[in-house]
Amino acid sequence: MLTPSERERYDRQILIREFGQEGQGKLKRSRVVIAGAGGLGSPIAFYLTAAGIGMIRIVDHDRVALSNLNRQVLHGEEDVGRKKVDSARAKLRNLNSTVEIQAIAETITEGNVSELVGDCDAIVDAMDNLPTRYVLNRCAIEKNIPFFHGAVNGFEGRVMTVLPGETACLRCMYRGLVPQEKFPVIGVAPAVIGSIQATEVIKYLVGIGKLLTNRLLIYDGLKVTFSEFRLNKNPNCDHCGSSAGKE
Amino acid sequence: MAVKVHIHTTHRQFTDGLESVAVEGNTVGECLSHLIKQFPGMEKALFAKKDKLLNNVEVYLNHSSAYPDELLKSVKEDDDIHLVVMLTGG
Repeated sequence: MLTPSERERYDRQILIREFGQEGQGKLKRSRVVIAGAGGLGSPIAFYLTAAGIGMIRIVDHDRVALSNLNRQVLHGEEDVGRKKVDSARAKLRNLNSTVEIQAIAETITEGNVSELVGDCDAIVDAMDNLPTRYVLNRCAIEKNIPFFHGAVNGFEGRVMTVLPGETACLRCMYRGLVPQEKFPVIGVAPAVIGSIQATEVIKYLVGIGKLLTNRLLIYDGLKVTFSEFRLNKNPNCDHCGSSAGKE
Repeated sequence: MAVKVHIHTTHRQFTDGLESVAVEGNTVGECLSHLIKQFPGMEKALFAKKDKLLNNVEVYLNHSSAYPDELLKSVKEDDDIHLVVMLTGG
């Protein structure tokens, strides 16, 4: 049930035919965890907060550095040295005080991931490294929670959505470890990719549209092209297939 | 038999800036060998060792994932091979 104030605040999205007050109510009752308060986490958190998700938990162990500010628009110059989640919570509360913002300054590991994400309706990948993404992916599969993947490099980015048990997961094309390197990026790339991830989360929670499942969307900002590739669920995947749990 | 290989942005330094290259072969592996014959710099960009793609290289055949055993997949005239580099940044 929406309050008069909520009906006013969300008036423009309630006007969307597929969305309506029912859709807004679904968002209000939803709980979403965003893993990372950086380049991707910034637009994701801003747009999900603006849309009126009931609870957003944002997890990041890091502190704001000056070199983050070209892309991590949750944070400003006055936040340098501050915990990213504290900076994020302050900005998000200022944007929409009706959304519960939980700020968790922890490193996501195999040991704590279940506790961090287990009570949520959606897990959003805003990480900056592949190993943690796989930790999240596995947990999402085990707990049957949809997983919204995004990644960027330079002017490029990619997005895919995982519905556990139904669609290809992030691990389905795994061939081995990828070296971790300092990656180049300009802020507009995670802005595009994070916005698409937030769109996917909203569509899933409201139950409308066609999700990016079994599809990888690749964005090339230099050419302004979107390419789509079909993905296949791997029956031998060690996260979602017959090899799961056999490590 | 002409097959088009689409080159990822980061690899175009090895293909004289070309976004796509026409190759010949009956399998993805043969097509990539022909690509490397034309542009030898692509070998290190794609392969960890003989017949072993780098872990961060993804191959799509006609816009569909060629995983697993990408190199063994059959191709036919006018097929499209996309070489894509996995991204990890956030």
